[in-house]
Amino acid sequence: MVRLSRFLLKDAGNVIDKTLSEILVCPLSKQPLRFCEKTKSLVSDTIGVSFPMKDGIPCLVPKDGKILEEESEASKA
Amino acid sequence: MKEDQTEKSTVSSSNQTQTLVRRFPGEAKNQREMRRINSIYGRIGLLRRVSEKSTKQSHTFLASHSFSTHGGYGGDGELQQNNSKVKIFDRDLKRIHRDRAAWLSSRQKNNSFVDAVADNLLDRLEDCKKTFPTALCLGGSVGAVKRLIRGRGGIEKLIMMDTSYDMIKSCRDADEGSLDNSIETSYLVGDEEFLPIKESSVDLIISSLGLHWTNDLPGSMIQCKLALKPDGLFLAAILGGETLKELRIACTLAHMEREGGISPRLSPLAQVRDAGNLLTRAGFSLPGVDVDEYVVKYKSALDLIEHLRAMGETNGLLERNKILNRETALATAAIYDSMFATEDGTIPATFQVIYMTGWREHSSHQQAKRRGSATVSFRDLHKKFGGQSES
Repeated sequence: MVRLSRFLLKDAGNVIDKTLSEILVCPLSKQPLRFCEKTKSLVSDTIGVSFPMKDGIPCLVPKDGKILEEESEASKA
Repeated sequence: MKEDQTEKSTVSSSNQTQTLVRRFPGEAKNQREMRRINSIYGRIGLLRRVSEKSTKQSHTFLASHSFSTHGGYGGDGELQQNNSKVKIFDRDLKRIHRDRAAWLSSRQKNNSFVDAVADNLLDRLEDCKKTFPTALCLGGSVGAVKRLIRGRGGIEKLIMMDTSYDMIKSCRDADEGSLDNSIETSYLVGDEEFLPIKESSVDLIISSLGLHWTNDLPGSMIQCKLALKPDGLFLAAILGGETLKELRIACTLAHMEREGGISPRLSPLAQVRDAGNLLTRAGFSLPGVDVDEYVVKYKSALDLIEHLRAMGETNGLLERNKILNRETALATAAIYDSMFATEDGTIPATFQVIYMTGWREHSSHQQAKRRGSATVSFRDLHKKFGGQSES
């Protein structure tokens, strides 16, 4: 049963694991992350960086993050 | 300039701080953002640099600045520059190494050294009466730890973290194939130097042979400590100074002969005496360190190198010489053979593993008594328990 649900989640790829969503914070600012449905990435609002999620696995290495410039203003407004 | 000074003094007096925002009410939004970020980094001392730039161009987002330790722990107050920003290891290269290790180790099933270390580490969980429902496993040999847990420590939720995406993927694939699904596992790609884990959220952190590749080991350990809940356990195994001493000697000799100089081939490794200091510096209570030496025998020096590649432990120093002459490599193998070979023709390699244990402080831990709280004087004790000489 667990394996079946995990399999479904893997296909979906865009739902973040519940345990992880409670525990994860931005690696640089240690502030909570926001999951952005549109780009399927985790966004850290305080510093304006988005971290990708590859195949359901969040990649929170600072090098992988992309700086969001005007986008973040638009999405916050 | 005056602003800088007021910021500095505020930060040094209080650790948590959104107070900075209140002090500058009329500022533009950007400035306020920057100050909030500055306050977060205030503990760390990027403050001076960041406040100079006024654009939103996050200069805070510098991968080379580790969430380092100076001034932070112990309320040092002074924002001094510390050499914990020294980069010894090339972290990007290590990611690539670990990717390769993921591919190589999927073919080679038995890696007894890594399993032995992981087993030893996990055994320590049996010595504790406490159970650890949430556990985080940091890089190194994540696969081995996951495989060998076997219900020890009462772990229910396991989070696997590694810098390399391929390694995590291969762990997840291996996990899907296995029948043992009692532990709920989540996967995450992250850097040990920038731990993306909320404060006080995990009960146990295990790192088996992973932390000796971090540039800022004290910083990583401090972040681990912060991520632990009070009365949480930190277990780590790192390679110690005696590791591969035979290889080090053979390399040095071969290089001196062939190239007339040496370039660093083995990373600087921690000594046992440093391990204790590291734990105390990170702020762990009840620290414990012990050492174990494993001698692994190989058929030839090239087998040793293959094994190191499969573990992702090949040279990752920034200062390394990127070229290795074929002559030098053969000379190294020959010297190794002639100096260290055993009777049956195999060559030994020493791996010294240092196991570190530390707990996040909690009221139930033993504490040293406060000065001046003694109720009995030493002289009375001395008299009672039989001093032969009065001192």
